[in-house]
Amino acid sequence: MNDHHKPILRLLAYAIFCVAILAVPLFVSDAYLLNKLARYIIFGILSLALSLSWGYAGILNLGLAASFGLGSYCMAMALKLRTIPIQTGVSGLPDFMAWNNVKTLPWFWEPFHSYVFAVFAGVAVPMLLAFLIAWFVFPARVNGVYVAIITLAMLVVTNLLVIDQQRFTGGFNGITDLATFSVFGVDFDSYSPALYYLAGVTLSLSLFLGLALMSSKTGLILQAIRDDETRVWYFGYDVAAYKTFIFCVSAGVAGFAGMLYTLVMEFASPTFLAVPISLSIVIWCAVGGRASLLGAALGAIVVTGVQGSLSETPAFLDTWSLIMGALFIIVVLFLPNGLVSLGDVFWAKRREQRAPAPMANALAATEARRQPGAPRRESTN
Amino acid sequence: MMISETFLRLQDIVVEFGGFRAVNGLNLELKKGELRCLIGPNGAGKTTALDVMCGKVKPKAGRMTLKDRDITDLPDYKMARAGVGRKFQVPSFFRELSVRDNLEVAYCKRLGVFANVLRFRRSAEGDGLEKIAELVGLEDFLDHLAGYLSHGQTQSLEIALLLAQDSDLILMDEPTAGMTSAETMHTAKILNALRGRHTLLVVEHDMAFVREISDVITVMHQGKVLAEGRAMEIQSNQAVKDAYLGSGGISHA
Repeated sequence: MNDHHKPILRLLAYAIFCVAILAVPLFVSDAYLLNKLARYIIFGILSLALSLSWGYAGILNLGLAASFGLGSYCMAMALKLRTIPIQTGVSGLPDFMAWNNVKTLPWFWEPFHSYVFAVFAGVAVPMLLAFLIAWFVFPARVNGVYVAIITLAMLVVTNLLVIDQQRFTGGFNGITDLATFSVFGVDFDSYSPALYYLAGVTLSLSLFLGLALMSSKTGLILQAIRDDETRVWYFGYDVAAYKTFIFCVSAGVAGFAGMLYTLVMEFASPTFLAVPISLSIVIWCAVGGRASLLGAALGAIVVTGVQGSLSETPAFLDTWSLIMGALFIIVVLFLPNGLVSLGDVFWAKRREQRAPAPMANALAATEARRQPGAPRRESTN
Repeated sequence: MMISETFLRLQDIVVEFGGFRAVNGLNLELKKGELRCLIGPNGAGKTTALDVMCGKVKPKAGRMTLKDRDITDLPDYKMARAGVGRKFQVPSFFRELSVRDNLEVAYCKRLGVFANVLRFRRSAEGDGLEKIAELVGLEDFLDHLAGYLSHGQTQSLEIALLLAQDSDLILMDEPTAGMTSAETMHTAKILNALRGRHTLLVVEHDMAFVREISDVITVMHQGKVLAEGRAMEIQSNQAVKDAYLGSGGISHA
């Protein structure tokens, strides 16, 4: 599999991908297109976050959109406080609070006057929520589909809370009319190359840091947990601690992606922390290859990219979701390890042609072709 | 070596599954460095006894001490930390990891999440792990996925995992099931080499193998110890013969 041989090739593939992503603004001057690509890249980061917990540790977190959304709201709160409200003046309340008869700024909004706090909170709040869930779930050895259900329920509750607390969160409308994020004299306007680079650099860093993490012994133990959790307990490892760790890291990455998403979209909305996004992440991961960070990121970019261009083409206006559905089915049927396994399949074919007989080669080729465990993991993770 | 020291002591262990007593007042003492075989007819409670010793099953009554420390109430992973290693009857290892990575996981001197974050694999310990692979005959398969090993090889891998884990007390449930007779004899050699440094408790049905490795055999029947002694004594013991009656007698089991 991708994880065992050709580590240099893999590193090279990651590097080429990052360079390609970062080189895009040199060739694309259309601000609208750049904004769209930045959005896809942010989905790539989000998909990578799920790959960390699902692909590597076998924890299917269906509540990842909650982390994403909370990050998004943290950034939106900070930017909202920098918008000069039309009705209430310079030191006034955010407009939606004025409409809802809120007299003073709620205490938890206060610290968001600081960017540093907001960026910290955008990662820390999702991690804290993830930690709480993990603390209940993993030491009790709750597993597999139950974790998926619990995280999904957590997402729905968070979503309802945000919609219900309209006075503090803007309810259905979310938080709109935001100031432009600017630090160190750089304006990260949603249509600027600066914001595109911010997203691209974040994705590149996440890819390499994630790869480093998964090449460490901790990463190895997480993969062992994915394979046979019980056995890992009997070596004396505290499996719950390992799972909690990666669950929180994944949530933190998703929270950061959420912050970037607010910058690109120029608002935060309860639809960011809703079930459809969470399910989309699972699809991106599955299409790209969940057991590969690059695969997961690529899957998100490809799927959202194709989705975007199909839905904007008049000829496919009525049928684009049908075409997307067909694509998913084809990938899942013929490439159970995702698009990223195309390379492995190709590799194995070539090796077969060059050296047909020796046992070792045949074995290695089957390794790549049989894509071990993919269907099985579905039921056990 | 202080060979007479009691290493593991089980006192009046009782395990119930919904009213059925799988283990019913089991008493067992192992000396440090001993290799003990545990035999008995089907349903005698051998596997359940091992489950108790590794923390998988908590006894309803009774105490268990390891090196004079009461470990009865420890959760399974803390029992592993206290020095208990277990090989299960059903092969259990990491199919999607290479043999080398399987051994890396089993080599568990440092257990914490953060202690392991900045530790990258294939480090200094690599050599020792390769020697272990050589010992069990897997040196040519280090970079193969464990999921593609033959059944006999997976048994060897499990023994290698226990060696890498390096526990004081090693519990084995049918280590030679599915092995060829050559592999079985090789395993016997490995186990013989382990005694002294490790204390071993082996559940086996293959009497030839048991004779090859054991000093003392413990026979379990209906959840408790029926007899204890050397192979010759056990084979001529009338109570043991009766217990096995109907399953062909002990020498053919």
